[in-house]
Amino acid sequence: MALSSPSGMSKTSGHLSEEDVMGKPKIGIYGLTGCAGDQLNILNCEDELLKLFDIFEIKSFVMASREKDENVQLDVAFVEGSVSTEKDLEELLAIRKKSKILVAIGHCAIYGGVQAMFRGGEEWIERYKRVYGRENAVTLSKPLEPKPLSAYVKVDAVLHGCPIEKEPFLKLAGKLAHGVIPRTPDYPVCAECRWKENECLLLKGQICLGPLTNAGCGAICPSLNIGCIGCWGPIREENWASEADLLVEKGYDIDEIVTRFSVFGGTERAQKLEQFLRSRKEKGNG
Amino acid sequence: MDKHIFIEPLARVEGHGGIEVYIENDMVKEVKFEIFEGPRLFEQLVVGKDPQEAVAIASRICAICFVSHTLAEIRAIERALDVKVGRKIHLLRKLAHYGEMIESHSLHYYLLALPDYFGYPDAIAMIRQFPDEVIGGLELKKFGNKVMEIVAGRRIHGENLQVGGIGKIPTDEELEWIKLRAMELIPTIERGIQFWNEVDVPDYLEEETIFISVWPEDGTYDFRADTIYVSTGETYAADDYQTALNERVVPHSFAKRCRYKGKPYSVGALARILNMRDRLDGLAADYFKKLYNERWHKNPHFNNIAQAIEILYCLEHIPKLVDEIKATPLEESTRGRDTGAGTGLVEAPRGLLIHHTEMENGRVKYADYLVPTAQNLDDAEKYMRNAVKNLLKQGVQDLELPLEMIARAYDPCISCSVHLVKVIKK
Repeated sequence: MALSSPSGMSKTSGHLSEEDVMGKPKIGIYGLTGCAGDQLNILNCEDELLKLFDIFEIKSFVMASREKDENVQLDVAFVEGSVSTEKDLEELLAIRKKSKILVAIGHCAIYGGVQAMFRGGEEWIERYKRVYGRENAVTLSKPLEPKPLSAYVKVDAVLHGCPIEKEPFLKLAGKLAHGVIPRTPDYPVCAECRWKENECLLLKGQICLGPLTNAGCGAICPSLNIGCIGCWGPIREENWASEADLLVEKGYDIDEIVTRFSVFGGTERAQKLEQFLRSRKEKGNG
Repeated sequence: MDKHIFIEPLARVEGHGGIEVYIENDMVKEVKFEIFEGPRLFEQLVVGKDPQEAVAIASRICAICFVSHTLAEIRAIERALDVKVGRKIHLLRKLAHYGEMIESHSLHYYLLALPDYFGYPDAIAMIRQFPDEVIGGLELKKFGNKVMEIVAGRRIHGENLQVGGIGKIPTDEELEWIKLRAMELIPTIERGIQFWNEVDVPDYLEEETIFISVWPEDGTYDFRADTIYVSTGETYAADDYQTALNERVVPHSFAKRCRYKGKPYSVGALARILNMRDRLDGLAADYFKKLYNERWHKNPHFNNIAQAIEILYCLEHIPKLVDEIKATPLEESTRGRDTGAGTGLVEAPRGLLIHHTEMENGRVKYADYLVPTAQNLDDAEKYMRNAVKNLLKQGVQDLELPLEMIARAYDPCISCSVHLVKVIKK
């Protein structure tokens, strides 16, 4: 059974009736391990929520409704969270199987989240044992080292953010409603900072990850005089070595820089950082 | 009759949980509130981080109560490093906290909790019968979000609140807007509170419990303090939280559990309002007096209406708070040391939240977080067990919804609860 929608209440455009004739796209909104902030920001579309429930046939959105149908094919699945238990993995595989388009929403789904950060080469299971006492303390589902969705399945589109923002989500949803798979913006926070004519915090000597981080937030933190912490994840062609050099010039030490880079760096940057640290040490510069 | 009930996933809560019940010969054998959310090991992630990083990471524990996690982490670090901030900063933090209370409570009260009592699967389905309530709830939720956006920097995981101060102080225009909008929304929440009269509150679970909350030293009803209050009459200093609230690991949950002197206890809006009821004022006090009765001490369903009354309390207090913020000059903050330990106590919307941090040379050396939902799990199981026992006696077969409603009444935040974990010190 589909989620009930307030049909007749918010039908304001001709576009919707056309959708009705064509059949509404069937979607599911899911959360694996994370803070649920991406789903929450969907619920935070207070003004658009009714329309969203009207444009799409929402087959599963457990955070919002008790009613769901997991036995249908989905046009689009939105998945947030990292894969952190075997149960997460089973759920992800099932979602992938029944969905035409799978969109990874938010940092955890795309990069693994803060839980996947580089911790100086320390083994994840050691960390787990330190917290829970031993490996098999919890038998509910086997815990896994947190990883992004792409470590296990094909991801068709991504929506950056920690969490995702409302406007980009609505734009993406709009395009998907018309069967278009949108391209992901591929420029750093720095660009948005310049549009806002902010003073550059890096040049003032503050650590700011703007040059390395996916745009889309509107350079919120630099606009508040706070250095970008990197929460939208590393851009595809990031020149982090160059930023590291700049920060060394500004007087920061390598460990400090690596610590900051790792917070939202995810699994991929972790490997690079490890190599970087090793090469620095070999050069005797660490 | 033998029966196995397994509700999974538990809907309309934050995060991934379930309820499992075993019945043998018409007797309840076991009731388990299961937490499936995977472990993220936050107490380990912050080790080695500086204050800005630690606060940003702690915020990610939970989207719905990020302001509370941010404030608890800031408070813990500021106490550890002997950081003193001026009154203006405290007041701005309080305003952000009010924003979170309003947003989180209105999301839970209107959109997550109420649909059950009227037989709807979700709030969107409920809108045709109760448009004013659902739209009113969305308006309140939107306002809470706007307050967080203005003061904390974003609706979720805003970084504007920092150790030792704030990134940017909201403009007078923004503060005035908050003040006026808060006043406008008071009739909306009054309608929402009156709506509770339509609710038939289930009574098949009732039993006394213990309520634990903060105990603000200035005598006000507030969401921050350095003292813990237990409804049995005891108080504890923040740093003694581990003595007061014992935790343990159970195999069916990635969240650890807490008890007070071996007994389950409750935290959240209901605990606060019962513990601090003499401190309520204004319309919030009037509505509380009108609605309160002895059943509130025995039934977690009343947590829902307690949340609605707290929304009203926050809205009524925002105008004064805004005036005071505008009239208070910004003072320089000071930092006394680089090494030390501190405990930060706050009330998250769903209850007492404790961050304990040890700092060494300005970086986190050790962290321990104790979150509300994990404290509520034993209490919730107690009430679910009562419900199953009594409903079986009455011959009720459909136990799923009554059990879900109990779980939801606690407004569980499952992402958070997974981080009630204790780090073994090296």
